[in-house]
Amino acid sequence: MNLLLQIYRPLLRLRAFLFLVTFAALIPFPGFGSAEGREKILIFSAGSTINAITEVGDLFNKQGNEKCVISCAASSTLAKQIAQGALADIYISANPKWMDYLSEKDLIEPETRFDLLGNRLVLIEPISNDSRIEITPGLDLAGLLGKERMAMGDPDHVPAGIYGKQALMALGMWDDIKDRVAPMKDVRAALVMVEREETPFGIVYSTDARISKKVRIVDVFPETSHPPIIYPVAILAEKESPATKRLILFLQSPEARAVFLKHGFTVK
Amino acid sequence: MNTLDITVAKSNGNFNLKASFACEGSGVTAIFGRSGAGKTTLINIIAGLIRPDSGSVMVNGHILFDSQKGVNLPPEKRRMGYVFQEGRLFPHLSMKANLLYGMKLLPKPERVISFDQVVELLGISHLLSRRPATLSGGEKQRVAIGRALLSSPSLLLMDEPLASLDASRKSEVLPFLARLPRELSIPIIYVTHSVDEVLNLADNMVLMDSGRVIAIDTIETVTTRSEFQSLTGRGGGGSVISTAVLSHDKKKKSTHLRFPGGILKVPFVDIPIDSPLRVRIAPRDVAIALELPIKTSYQNILEGRIEKIEQDNWGFMMIHLDIGCPLLARITPAACSDLSLTEGKDVFALVKSVSVSIGKRLILNELKK
Amino acid sequence: MDLLHLTPLEIESLRLSLWVSTWAVLGSLVPGIFIAWVLARVRFPGRALLDGIVHLPLVLPPVVTGYFLLVLMGRHGMIGGWLYDVTGFSFAFSWRGAALAAGVMAFPLFVRAVRLSLESMDRGLEEAAHTLGAGRTRVFFTITLPLSFPGILTGTILAFARSLGEFGATISFVSNIPGETRTLPLALYTLIQQPGGEVGAFRLCIIAVVVALFALMISDFLARRRIFLMHGEK
Repeated sequence: MNLLLQIYRPLLRLRAFLFLVTFAALIPFPGFGSAEGREKILIFSAGSTINAITEVGDLFNKQGNEKCVISCAASSTLAKQIAQGALADIYISANPKWMDYLSEKDLIEPETRFDLLGNRLVLIEPISNDSRIEITPGLDLAGLLGKERMAMGDPDHVPAGIYGKQALMALGMWDDIKDRVAPMKDVRAALVMVEREETPFGIVYSTDARISKKVRIVDVFPETSHPPIIYPVAILAEKESPATKRLILFLQSPEARAVFLKHGFTVK
Repeated sequence: MNTLDITVAKSNGNFNLKASFACEGSGVTAIFGRSGAGKTTLINIIAGLIRPDSGSVMVNGHILFDSQKGVNLPPEKRRMGYVFQEGRLFPHLSMKANLLYGMKLLPKPERVISFDQVVELLGISHLLSRRPATLSGGEKQRVAIGRALLSSPSLLLMDEPLASLDASRKSEVLPFLARLPRELSIPIIYVTHSVDEVLNLADNMVLMDSGRVIAIDTIETVTTRSEFQSLTGRGGGGSVISTAVLSHDKKKKSTHLRFPGGILKVPFVDIPIDSPLRVRIAPRDVAIALELPIKTSYQNILEGRIEKIEQDNWGFMMIHLDIGCPLLARITPAACSDLSLTEGKDVFALVKSVSVSIGKRLILNELKK
Repeated sequence: MDLLHLTPLEIESLRLSLWVSTWAVLGSLVPGIFIAWVLARVRFPGRALLDGIVHLPLVLPPVVTGYFLLVLMGRHGMIGGWLYDVTGFSFAFSWRGAALAAGVMAFPLFVRAVRLSLESMDRGLEEAAHTLGAGRTRVFFTITLPLSFPGILTGTILAFARSLGEFGATISFVSNIPGETRTLPLALYTLIQQPGGEVGAFRLCIIAVVVALFALMISDFLARRRIFLMHGEK
């Protein structure tokens, strides 16, 4: 035990020091604490929207509005954080399920909810490969994989993974392929796997595929094979204010739509 | 071929060692000096645990270290036994495993010291299955000595092996140490700052002070040197004479000892005839007469010549005599001038038989302290 | 809900966690002791740099470490690719990768413990062994290693505990494959991410705590026994 203490004491001291420094550095930083009358809007947005939403937020700010602080992560993670009391103003989910989850807990302003974006599911491979495959019900994707794996968001909880599983099930490929899946923490991680050629195939959103120059899209999953990929947006409970209402309107404006389209989303 | 030939220099911050000497034959060579004189550094250089800045170390003609030739044998290749002041027994091994540690590393033909012989010599057979933590200091040191011996070394180094023991433990170990040179013919180099250990055990002495070797000679000679006297202070020191038991006089209850200058008479000691015996005579116990005195109680009247007269640090006159071997006498300046003593004069040295300290009694004196 | 009966998911993730952590620790033993010995005993230029590299997994975010592992040891990684081409062996998407990730994250703790033990050892005993004719290798195996055993034991327990809890690097490097890389922490994470999975997650928590306590108790017992043997009554 003595030895344990000897090792951890200096480490604990270092960590304590780092925490103190970080804490001290954050105190004068405006924007922390309750946000009434502050000049910021905190947006929790699904990971796949990060580039698009950041651009839209900048545009909003340049037009003389409040500054947007954007936190992007998996929709499930964000929803849980909101349920635990995170101080976000607006939530954009990659999946209606998580918006429903918050709605049941009365954590959103129900009249502010609407469907903002759409996306497509694609099969990707490393850019050095050149498969000519079409996604049809008869496709033997498992056979093509052989002993290799397919990277996708975790089908148990990552929205892109859930959609992917639904699509594969609809096409009759899931049973053969489910043991060859590499469930990733989020869809970007799946993208990285394919970029690095660790897996010969991956399932991501078309918006993700467009970002990377190291992957190419093999084919797009038919829209009928999965529920529509909808990104609902809502103002969170008791966060309705002139500022947030203005942002919601701006998200539907032509300038914002142009940005979304540019990044590969479809707009409702 | 000398047993040990060493000429080295080593600087270490404040400390500056420069030593050069040679030892012949077997027997015990004591390296004697105050704390900080450089004794341990010197012995560590011989063992190969410290690398000197320059110089050379040779044992029995083998080069162990030579800065010019670029030779530096690691300690494991030097075939030296080393008994440390703290023993340094391996705590995770039994006593037997400790003893055999070095022996096991030798090919069978090279194991010249036998296990049973050493165990018997050091009286440690009852300790073999114990672990170091359960032993007393004296027991630990005896095992440490045994362990070093069993590696069949060509030279045995000892760094103040008794220093960390109390008086009763010292008396436990000292007799075993005294037997070593007689029973095994391994030369021993023995570092100490204890006068009694030197006088009891050593045949030769290397005198060191402040990183320098001041003298090296037989113990009888070095003990009479003024440098030794000043290092040991007023009480210590004295002439050491190597004798052998000649005969016993049961009627007069005395013993006659033979020494290079004739016969010494001492009170009876129960030691067999022809046994070697080292005796010590304190300078204050030696009187000087110009003529052969008659009807005195002095049993020992020894003819000799004055080699040197010098004054010591306390104002007394130290007379260096040669009675067949060196003898020191200490008298007052008044007595010296009354007798008009000069160097080269033939005189008589008078020593009471009770004044002759016998080797064994030196050990007993340690106990009483 | 049966308290004492474990669901298949729980059994599988527990078994996998124990398996992965055991291999993580076993794999760390030899390189860990070697590097600890080098850092404690050998003076060479770049020693501080080696020390820094060893401690990187402690300081970097685990996900970054996982990414580095991917770049180095993935099937097309700098080392992993060569390894696969030559031997057909791969860490990717298997428990071996999970063990590697756990081992790398726990490595600094192991090295620290062993190094501390080596540095506080009595060097005089090594010197004594040298004077008795033992060369460096023999001294290491007969004296240094046995005497630094308490430190090695502590390091092993620390590393094992750290491996049991390893998450970020594992999930980045080898993903979250049930039965292959879904260790306890990853299974916990998966359950937390699903609505209504809190109960299952809590059960897994309890299991993790029980395992950790058990490991600590065993190590304490072993350490005491060893000290008793060496020092008598202490």
